[in-house]
Amino acid sequence: MSVQALLDVLDRAHTGPVCSVKDWDTKVIPEKVSEKLSEHGLKGTCTPENPINTEDSLADEFWHAGFELAVDVGMLCLDTERVIKFTEEELKEAIRNAPSEVILGEGLDKVLMKARKPEDKTLPLYCAPIGIEASEDLWIPLIQGIAQHRVIDMMQGCSLRTVLGRPLRSGTPYETLAGRVQAQMHREALWRAGRPGMCATSVITSPTVYGQLGGYGVPGGYRTSDLALVLSPAELKTSYASLHKVVHAINCGGLIFAGSSSVIGGYAGPVEGSTVAMVACALLQIAVHQSGWGSCSVIDMRYNGNCGRDAQWAISVAFQGIARNSRLLTQSVLNQVGGPCTDMLLYESAVGMMNLSASGISFSIGPRSAGGKYANYISPLECKFCAEVFKSSAGMKRSEVSELAKLLIPKYEDKLRNPPKGKSFTECFDLKTLRPTKEWLDIYLKVKNELIDLGVPLE
Amino acid sequence: MSKEETLDKLIQTIINGDEAEAKKITEDALAAGMDPLDMVKQGAVKAMNIIGEKWRRFEMFLSHVMLAADAMKSVMAVLLPKITAEQKSKFSLGRVVLGTVSGDIHDIGKNLVGTLLSVAGFEVHDIGVDIQSKDFIQKAKELNADIIAMSCLLSTSMYFQKDIIQYLKDAGLRKQYYVIVGGGPVTADWTTEIGADGWGKYADDAATVCKKLVTGGVRPPLPKPILIGE
Repeated sequence: MSVQALLDVLDRAHTGPVCSVKDWDTKVIPEKVSEKLSEHGLKGTCTPENPINTEDSLADEFWHAGFELAVDVGMLCLDTERVIKFTEEELKEAIRNAPSEVILGEGLDKVLMKARKPEDKTLPLYCAPIGIEASEDLWIPLIQGIAQHRVIDMMQGCSLRTVLGRPLRSGTPYETLAGRVQAQMHREALWRAGRPGMCATSVITSPTVYGQLGGYGVPGGYRTSDLALVLSPAELKTSYASLHKVVHAINCGGLIFAGSSSVIGGYAGPVEGSTVAMVACALLQIAVHQSGWGSCSVIDMRYNGNCGRDAQWAISVAFQGIARNSRLLTQSVLNQVGGPCTDMLLYESAVGMMNLSASGISFSIGPRSAGGKYANYISPLECKFCAEVFKSSAGMKRSEVSELAKLLIPKYEDKLRNPPKGKSFTECFDLKTLRPTKEWLDIYLKVKNELIDLGVPLE
Repeated sequence: MSKEETLDKLIQTIINGDEAEAKKITEDALAAGMDPLDMVKQGAVKAMNIIGEKWRRFEMFLSHVMLAADAMKSVMAVLLPKITAEQKSKFSLGRVVLGTVSGDIHDIGKNLVGTLLSVAGFEVHDIGVDIQSKDFIQKAKELNADIIAMSCLLSTSMYFQKDIIQYLKDAGLRKQYYVIVGGGPVTADWTTEIGADGWGKYADDAATVCKKLVTGGVRPPLPKPILIGE
């Protein structure tokens, strides 16, 4: 990470072209995205009947369109209403300088993350869970229960809504305190699981900058060997809150993990528009936020998830394009909507994890059980399941994954808008033994055996 | 140009999101003697219905719908002063102050709700993101709003929804405004717990919730909130 590159970004956030947020959302993004789709012949290319892309040339064309979009529009700083732009050469240089592999974690819990190609046999890494809110009293056993599964490589942890029993209001000193408190709980949970050096993505309870300032790189807080998380809003926007987190990570000598999501039906328009925006977003995370990898996800606003056909197609095309045309590390998120202790959650996970793995992603964070909507609706078992499917499908052909997706998606697609909430951690797990209830274990085994019968090389 | 042709042109211009042209057509038609009430009913309202339908079918996306809603607002700004309060009440469903609560800068859900409420016939005043609690209330007072609508994607900002309702109660203002809440982590249970009047699972439920509130004949606060998609 470079202070000079940081200063360039901060300076551009003050001197770049002026653009109001309204114009960005309603004119710049939709018009430029539409222009790129037209120029590259990409309008109407989504094939919901084949939800996982298998055409290299299509993925390459989306890569080119996404790269051009990143150069043409840059990223809007919400606080200054100025655009942080890069020349083509500057963006290429940022991509060239980004790492193709990185060691994460400490001691016996170190893991190696490598850039992958579509259908690559190199194992991707799985980080769990994705910031779903958990009560303070359940936080440590829940995270311990997840970390006990060695197939999971990294830990993000859950969000807090209270800190030491007090309501945690974002942007207040409670949030600053929460950063430190969560780091301590995180360490305790990993120690109990026998994985003290496991890499964290931190601080998930930092909706503004304060949680990060209070919890990352401070004595007793998250370590600088953990990843500093920098999230920013769609489409292609940053803010001083995000840039503060970048500066803080650089001050601490940490590694930055920046990401965002594109929204199908949102400012980038149809699914093809979101796909182009995803590529641009991943590249600009590296150039603007000095992220160690290209990271972006997608949400379909019709059901606030991404396990339906359109979103799966977008993920496959965007990340195949990046993987085929660069040596970047990449990250994306699966947003399930089915809840714990339902087979829907596992079917969604199976499709999504196979897709991410076969499309060449380096690592993924999840799951977002029950859409991340309900406190404590997350359990260790679906985390383990996601990691198992993700890794076992490394090396699978995209055509195989596409055929499996066609069989599995019909099992849940009618329920995406009204998914089953499932059961909470305490309802589907024994807190003393940290084992799932028989009901939840039986569902897990049923789906897993079904996948094995279909040819997924799960153990 | 015949009346029908003018109205068709107005509808199409609103759908295209051309704010300046829609305003001009409206002003020219008024100057030519067209009835403002006809222009609302057979022009703006028709356009709103088409936009809503295109959104539901995913034929129009958020940016386009926002521009169309702006064009429709510009037309209404010209027409409303020309019609009586009684006529106005037949198609203007109410005034909404909308924003994302403090500590949260997410705007997509809020923008979608605002746009769909406008399309449904509400007068929406979008006060932006990361809005301090007092600013919601100040704006609602200033505009004599019917509804305060609070969006929130972060669980740690949900408390501000509760704070605003509590402030309204403490200040003796709760009976003046319906309060609706929404956003990713906002659930029906939370809505009930904090004493809000309405909630919808998806952004496109907001118009149904608000219509039920303003036509239900019960002044705020409701004994039980209206919950859509629970």
